[in-house]
Amino acid sequence: MDYLIFSFSLMLVYIGLAQLLHVQFGLLGIPNFGVVGFWGLGLYGTGVLYVSYDVPLVPAIIVASLIVAVVSYVLASMVLQRSGQAILAATLAFAAMVATLVVTEKQLTNGVQGLGTIGFPFGDLASRNVVYFGVLLAVVVALIWVSAKLRDSRMGRMMIAIRDNEELAASLGKDTAGTKRTVFVVTCALMGLLGGLTAPLHQFLVPYHLAPSLTFAVWIALVLGGKSHNLGAMIGVFATFGLFDILIETYAPVPAEQAIMLPNFKLFCYGVLLVMIIMFRPAGMLGEDRPRHRARADAAPANDTAVKEG
Amino acid sequence: MKLEAENLTKAYHQHEVVNIDKVAFGAKGLEGLIGPNGAGKSTLMGLLTRRIAPTSGRIRLDVGSGSRELNPLKSHEVARIGLIKTNQRIQGFDSLTIRDSLRLAVTSPRSEGFMSIFAGERDPEDVEERVSRLIEAFPFTDRNGYARSGGEKKLVDILRCLIAEPRLLLMDEPTAGLPDDITRTVMDIVRQKVADGKMRVVVVEHDLPLIWEYCDYVHFLSEGSILFEGAPEEVKSNRVVAEKYMGV
Amino acid sequence: MLLIDAIFIGLLEASPLILAAMGFTLIFYLNGFMNIAYAESITFGAYFAVLFNVVLGAHFYLSIVPSMLLSGCLSVAVYLAIFRPALNRGVGPTEMIILSVGVSFMLRYGLILVVGPENLFLNEPNITYMQFMGLGASNLQLVALVLVFVGAGVLYWMIYNTGLGEQMRGLANNHDLAMASGINPHRTSVAIWFIAGCAGGLSGVFSGVFAQVTPYMGWNVILITMLVTIVAGIGSVRGAVIAAVVAGVLTAFITLVTKPLYSEVALLMAFIGVLTFRGARTA
Repeated sequence: MDYLIFSFSLMLVYIGLAQLLHVQFGLLGIPNFGVVGFWGLGLYGTGVLYVSYDVPLVPAIIVASLIVAVVSYVLASMVLQRSGQAILAATLAFAAMVATLVVTEKQLTNGVQGLGTIGFPFGDLASRNVVYFGVLLAVVVALIWVSAKLRDSRMGRMMIAIRDNEELAASLGKDTAGTKRTVFVVTCALMGLLGGLTAPLHQFLVPYHLAPSLTFAVWIALVLGGKSHNLGAMIGVFATFGLFDILIETYAPVPAEQAIMLPNFKLFCYGVLLVMIIMFRPAGMLGEDRPRHRARADAAPANDTAVKEG
Repeated sequence: MKLEAENLTKAYHQHEVVNIDKVAFGAKGLEGLIGPNGAGKSTLMGLLTRRIAPTSGRIRLDVGSGSRELNPLKSHEVARIGLIKTNQRIQGFDSLTIRDSLRLAVTSPRSEGFMSIFAGERDPEDVEERVSRLIEAFPFTDRNGYARSGGEKKLVDILRCLIAEPRLLLMDEPTAGLPDDITRTVMDIVRQKVADGKMRVVVVEHDLPLIWEYCDYVHFLSEGSILFEGAPEEVKSNRVVAEKYMGV
Repeated sequence: MLLIDAIFIGLLEASPLILAAMGFTLIFYLNGFMNIAYAESITFGAYFAVLFNVVLGAHFYLSIVPSMLLSGCLSVAVYLAIFRPALNRGVGPTEMIILSVGVSFMLRYGLILVVGPENLFLNEPNITYMQFMGLGASNLQLVALVLVFVGAGVLYWMIYNTGLGEQMRGLANNHDLAMASGINPHRTSVAIWFIAGCAGGLSGVFSGVFAQVTPYMGWNVILITMLVTIVAGIGSVRGAVIAAVVAGVLTAFITLVTKPLYSEVALLMAFIGVLTFRGARTA
């Protein structure tokens, strides 16, 4: 039972990350391939503060998220106005740097030996993991709600315009560089927050947690569900993490000797799914989704003397 | 509102495309900029909107309360002081409907901050009204949908700039790709807005009858320099213009 | 002396990277997207070598060429089955990269499902250490170095001095114009993907013999390959060679003066720094 609650809690973290990536890439067009770096910095930042400096959990998470905000601001100033491929490579490199530093900075992180133990808050409550699940659920629901509001807001409209044609948006007076930087920093800090919130789930942090597979799992989920669909991130995580890590791992009758190959089989399936989706359904399982608000427009009859190309 | 350039030059590989001692746009209301192919009109437009870096010279925008040097500004800052340009090549936001595109243009950047996420209504009534009034003046295939043809996209690009009501609007070949009647509707709106004192306009065009009909003042550019300026009648009857342009 | 050491070690270490960077750059140049699945050309090259060298018992030197060719064939097969249809469908560059991640997962974990996750070793030829101007290296390393440089040289010559290279540059610069002037885009693309796959395979064989053959070996170098390619400028093969050499020498130098692990961090930082000034601007 505890394991199931752990799995579902972790799934919420994945949904949150995918939702933030939906804002970064789906709405604003920033290809962040360093999700695990921002999340991991929050995770390890929280862990180091909590274990090595005896900072209580909540302040530790907040400070760690602020650190992520500062770091992502620096990164944003350096590469955010470059081409998409440059941003992609730089964020990927950033995540690799975080992963390496966690191994090398032994006096802080205890290197490959691992860093622990980080307990749940709520002291001696017997069902504290359930309560913690509730906290995560609240955070993730809030994230989904805000990003849905965002997409239908004036700010969201401006972000979509920047994604579509940054130069044109700037020529209309929109501060494209500033918007991209601000949104990037805020969403990365929230990834850091989710990382901090993950620390008590894992309890014991090891560098293995920072493997790039997390970034790709989140990306695969987002692409599967639909990158510009507000619920795409959630559906994508259900279809990947939910299906493979929870349903199959918990309930499928796999003999023990084959069970070790299960993660490999899972990643193989992710790969196949991803290829199929991009080849046959590029907008994701949920398809294209347009912001609402169109209903307000008057139902004027279509005019047949339309503007033609001259 | 005046856009002034002094000693403005632009050279590519020692070949000078633009070389202007002094010119001022926006002082006379609705102005035209004409000149033969290769005269440097597009380059001049690029220089004025800061898309192209000048080889030398200064461009200043006089906004009544003082003048601002244009060169150190970013492109959104130029737009915010009140200088916007329509595009010669088709530009657009593919995922925005025609209405959303216009709403975007009319919304001020100040009301697009984080707090707008939690605003009850996305766009205030007056915005909706202005957008509807403008859209209904034109026969779009789907007024509530997306711009379909290249012509519609071009028209949306122009309407975005009109509804934004910059202090000075530069229109780069507004007739190219649009049917005559649409162009006339556009130019009528432009003339009305100029007459109401809402904005000043500079039109770059090959379509001379349109220039003669609508413009209050015309600049003639040839071989990178302003050779003649004046009222349409004066320009039309000028010998230099006739020689260099109309091939008489 | 430190500098000479660094250059020498750097060249030895960078030799597989140079090949990988050239192959990666070729595809980037031709099709305009970063093919992360190129990692598997490297990995599969090493596994093909295991097939010939360990399973079939051929001498290591004899298994180099067939492994390389098979890796090239795999590359072409993947191109024809997946990337070409996707490109024809107009999938954007970022989505192409995600697609290539999917292909990479499919191939890598498919490989693990078939041959298992264990690390494998190639049967090395007799190794003798040699001294050369006070610098130590094994004969194998020197052979690798020579072969890599010959390979890189041939590739370089092909791109800048042959019809195929000219066609490729034409296609990359202006697809429609190139087609109009009678270049068969299909044949040129297949040839380029084959050559790139061969380069990756060769790189994998040598990385494999220097250390070990693992399913993740290509994946581990693909990040640095990507960065080399971008920093070198969009698809300049000349730039990729230079950047790969510099990266190798730099890594060796930093390793010599600091802890080995910091060299990676420093290198990544340097790359991000360079990207700040060299990456193509958006607006």
